[in-house]
Amino acid sequence: MKKVIEGSQAVAEAVRLARVNIISAYPITPQTHIVERLSDFCSDGSLDARFLKVESEHSALAALIGAASSGVRTFTATSSQGLALMHELLHWTSGARLPIVMAEVNRALGPGWNIWTDQTDSLAQRDTGWIQLYCEDGQETLDTTIQAFLLAEMVNLPVMVVLDAFFLSHTYEPVDIPEQEAVDRFLPPFTPRFQLDTNNPCAFGSLVTPDSYMEMRHSIAEGMEAALDLLPEIEDRFAGIFDRRWAAIEPVECDDAEIILVTSGTVTSTCRELISDLRKRGEKVGLLKIKLFRPFPVEAIRRILAPAKKVAVIDRNFSFGASGIFAQEIRAALCNCPGHPPVFGFIAGLGGRDVTKDVLEGIYRQTDQSDRPEREDIWIGLKEVHDAAERS
Amino acid sequence: MTEIRFHGRGGQGTVIAAIILAKAFFRVGHQVQTFPVFGVERRGAPVEAYLRLDNKKILARTNVYTPDHVVVQDRTLLQSIDVTKGLKPGGWILINAPESFTGMDAFAGFSVASVDANRIALNHKLGSRTHPIVNTTMIGAFASLLGMPPLDAIAQAIEEEIPISTELNIRAAEEAFREIRRPELTERSNG
Amino acid sequence: MDKKTEATQKVSLFIPRSYLTTEGNKTGSWRFLRPRYEEKTAPCSVSCPAAEDIGMIQMLTTQGSFKDAWETILRENPFPGVCGRVCFHPCEGVCNRAEFDEAVAIHVIERFLANTAHRNAFTPEVERLAPKKQNIAVIGAGPGGLSAAYFLALLGYKVDVFEGAGEPGGVLRWGIPSYRLPLAILKEEIRRIEEIGVRIQTGKPLVHRDLDTLGKEYNALFLACGHGRSMALGIPGEELEGVQDGLSFLRGIREGRMSKFSGRVAVIGGGNAAIDVARSIIRLGGKALIIYRRRRQDMPAFGEEIEMALDEGVELRELRAPVSIRKAGGNLALEVRSMKIVGTDTDGRAHIEPEEGKPEEIKISHLVAAIGERAEEPWYEPPDEGTGVLHLSHCVMAHKPGGTLVYGGDLTNGIKSVAHAVASGKEAALALDSFFTEGIESVQPRLAACRAGAGPALSMEIYTQGPRSDRSTHVVTYDEINADYFQFDPRVKQPRLLREERSRTFGEVSLKISANLAIRETERCFNCGLCNQCDNCYLFCPDLAVKKDSEALGRHIDYDYCKGCGICAVECPRNALILEEEDYEEGH
Repeated sequence: MKKVIEGSQAVAEAVRLARVNIISAYPITPQTHIVERLSDFCSDGSLDARFLKVESEHSALAALIGAASSGVRTFTATSSQGLALMHELLHWTSGARLPIVMAEVNRALGPGWNIWTDQTDSLAQRDTGWIQLYCEDGQETLDTTIQAFLLAEMVNLPVMVVLDAFFLSHTYEPVDIPEQEAVDRFLPPFTPRFQLDTNNPCAFGSLVTPDSYMEMRHSIAEGMEAALDLLPEIEDRFAGIFDRRWAAIEPVECDDAEIILVTSGTVTSTCRELISDLRKRGEKVGLLKIKLFRPFPVEAIRRILAPAKKVAVIDRNFSFGASGIFAQEIRAALCNCPGHPPVFGFIAGLGGRDVTKDVLEGIYRQTDQSDRPEREDIWIGLKEVHDAAERS
Repeated sequence: MTEIRFHGRGGQGTVIAAIILAKAFFRVGHQVQTFPVFGVERRGAPVEAYLRLDNKKILARTNVYTPDHVVVQDRTLLQSIDVTKGLKPGGWILINAPESFTGMDAFAGFSVASVDANRIALNHKLGSRTHPIVNTTMIGAFASLLGMPPLDAIAQAIEEEIPISTELNIRAAEEAFREIRRPELTERSNG
Repeated sequence: MDKKTEATQKVSLFIPRSYLTTEGNKTGSWRFLRPRYEEKTAPCSVSCPAAEDIGMIQMLTTQGSFKDAWETILRENPFPGVCGRVCFHPCEGVCNRAEFDEAVAIHVIERFLANTAHRNAFTPEVERLAPKKQNIAVIGAGPGGLSAAYFLALLGYKVDVFEGAGEPGGVLRWGIPSYRLPLAILKEEIRRIEEIGVRIQTGKPLVHRDLDTLGKEYNALFLACGHGRSMALGIPGEELEGVQDGLSFLRGIREGRMSKFSGRVAVIGGGNAAIDVARSIIRLGGKALIIYRRRRQDMPAFGEEIEMALDEGVELRELRAPVSIRKAGGNLALEVRSMKIVGTDTDGRAHIEPEEGKPEEIKISHLVAAIGERAEEPWYEPPDEGTGVLHLSHCVMAHKPGGTLVYGGDLTNGIKSVAHAVASGKEAALALDSFFTEGIESVQPRLAACRAGAGPALSMEIYTQGPRSDRSTHVVTYDEINADYFQFDPRVKQPRLLREERSRTFGEVSLKISANLAIRETERCFNCGLCNQCDNCYLFCPDLAVKKDSEALGRHIDYDYCKGCGICAVECPRNALILEEEDYEEGH
């Protein structure tokens, strides 16, 4: 049934429908509405799960590592500094091959304190062995969260469902909330491939010598590759039941596009309007939405971008001393393609600054008018400021 | 696409007003999108919320800069905030104000309507004299102003969103729907 | 097969997982250091003349076992109510906690336990040995005599106490003012001594030759007649009306002969008796002026007592020595000479000499001399040397064919305190018991074996039951406490009557403290060397080699797995564990 709900509620409804057993989380703006709603579900009985209150995000994930090791379905949600505090246990989760699902609401890192959207928090965790899926609207968020459990459990790796603060987490729009029966058909109960068992005691996470550590890491790498292959199968299965389909990457008007804008998150949505406008004016422009960031769908991206004349990546994040993180990944994906197009890396919308259609059009025009990027990072809309030191 | 901006203060239910109105429009077939201006919510601080309406899926995920209409839940905001900022010419400004209020003249070039939402809300025991809860009242008046959505859709949206004093909120919306004063509208229809 | 399961089985899953147990790995074979539970001796119990097991008393109080705590005192001291009030608590002076923040208020807890026992009318359950055939006469019912009687009765002897005064108690009854020691407290503690079979005959002053008669009737005598006579000033005018000595002054009040006083009284002396006199004068309505040869910090009186006296309005003239007294109208004139400091004595007090110049004259109505006491009769004094004379730490034992006589109390104690009197009585009792059961030769070795931590104080508990829970005599120092496990917490403040109330009444100055406050205070105690089953060793042992059991400490070490890392000993907050080098010669 379609209802007008906010993105946070879409996550919570998906977690309810996934029949999660254990939830543990520590509240942080802008993730709070997700866990508030889940806490309500646990207390009113609409979700038969235990909600563990803990004293930090580190403990929240630690608790889930214990729970998931015992073979139950688990969920947490966090944001920004909360995710940063989890860092050590993010590695732990993937190393232990635990299929924990997390909703990560993109929020800028401080200081200066900022509760608004910015992707650096989740992208900074790209090497922790978590699958990362970036969502565009409420419906995708709900559907992706349900799919995340299936994907995680199939490859025994944790999944992060990422959504923009406020522009998605706090925005109300019509979302179809599926029936429980249909979700049950899509997502069977979790059958763990290993679990703590008092009748057959064993130790997990014990010492691994140089003799087998590499093989263990390689097994994780294989799990990641498997995720790349299994995601389309999961989407087929989902579409078969719900008649909706999402994709690791989604090309929009890319077939004959000379310039392709590359986006993720809610910027994609606004950018769709721009592409539609520009196409009406006859401009050969396309859009590539990247949803799956880890594993990074290199082959699929190459197929779309390699034929283009120019690629413009819009990053709502930044890696200091390098460039936008999506731009880095796109460059790396293309560099072994002979004659690949130049990649323009644009930094826009950090800390919740609005990325309007006008901003996106400006990026398109700048790309159109330059042969090659002058820099690896081009900051959009920077204002002139005076250093605090100078002022005082 | 129609864009509506709500002005209020933290604690007055401004964001809820936008959500109820969105749900009411959705019930009668509109695509909707609503969200608050994200900030650190504090009681008494000026807040804004946006509502977008369209007949197709709404793709824009940006703030609203050029609203078609503006709803002002608290007229004391007029002293500190330019509620007409970006407002499209001919757009409605609906202000919560008593009949005696004379500040309308300041909005030449716009269509201004008012409703004594404080009085109506208090008549229905919504809030207190110092903190009347006027959000449902303002929605009723605004629906009357636009001629949509219909009152029964608003009543259903209120039922969905407000679990306490639901019936009183619906009746306040209905009263405001009838009692809205829109002299400018009369003038404009004449012209 | 479900499609999901099919796909899943294909995904590589190589994880660190071990089915081995560590039971087979006997880490004990790595050990070259061996931890062992060994309780040790707390410094407080060594410094307590009565050898009270203070660490244990604090621990029991913390646990709310107030009766057990009180009985633990009674095992070593029949006077918790008295000592909780008047003891000069040397225990607090050596408290390890003082190096951390402030010493534990041990005497406040002793007083609290006595009050609690009184309020709840506890009946003590203290071990008594089977009756023995010998009977013993105790001469003098002061704290020393009564203590000897108490311990002798516990050891199974028949004891008769002979007291010259009309009531028992000695200095406790006649010398210490009731604002420090209420009569009811004393009476109750004496009643408890009588309840275990001690017979006290009062109003029976003895003369020297009575000793022979008693020597025939009893197997042994204990003589603790105390210092009943004040020393004279030795200056002109001492015999004048209005001049009296401290002991008779205090006795007059406690006998009820004196209830009002007016005028300005010079009190000569710097000991507790002088302070008692001065504070009593204030309470009777007079003005008190203490005249002391040296300085305030040199006074033998307790610091707190001096402070309260000054607070109550007592004046203090330091570095003044009395020269003469004469009549002046209806009053007296006291001539005093200024003294000057010319160095420091071996005990740290000022060494003084008279100053040149004319003495100062002070107008007074009365004078009380409290410069010290001595025995009333020469035969109270113990013999110096001779055959059969045994000098013990707190007693002198004269063992002759005609009979056995033990001298004790103030007459044999260097420090004249109630606690030392208790120590003397206890030592006499233990010495006599050793003598009766194993002969005169056994006296000194047996006494040596029951000293708390090898100090001078004797423990009745160790004498009758052997070492306390196998405690070693090692006295725990502050360095050996793991202070990380304790938080700074101020020492309890003894609540007192307001100054205005104090100066009008002989009611007790110190007030009760609540059980909550008492527990909070005893929680501050390090329980040096004692295991309070905090479980640190159990929790910290990386090899789970600390096993719980039903032994006294509730635990033992499984040496199959203890690798001797020593974490248990390091993390023990109170040094109840010892780490020793493994003896390879014998160990295997």
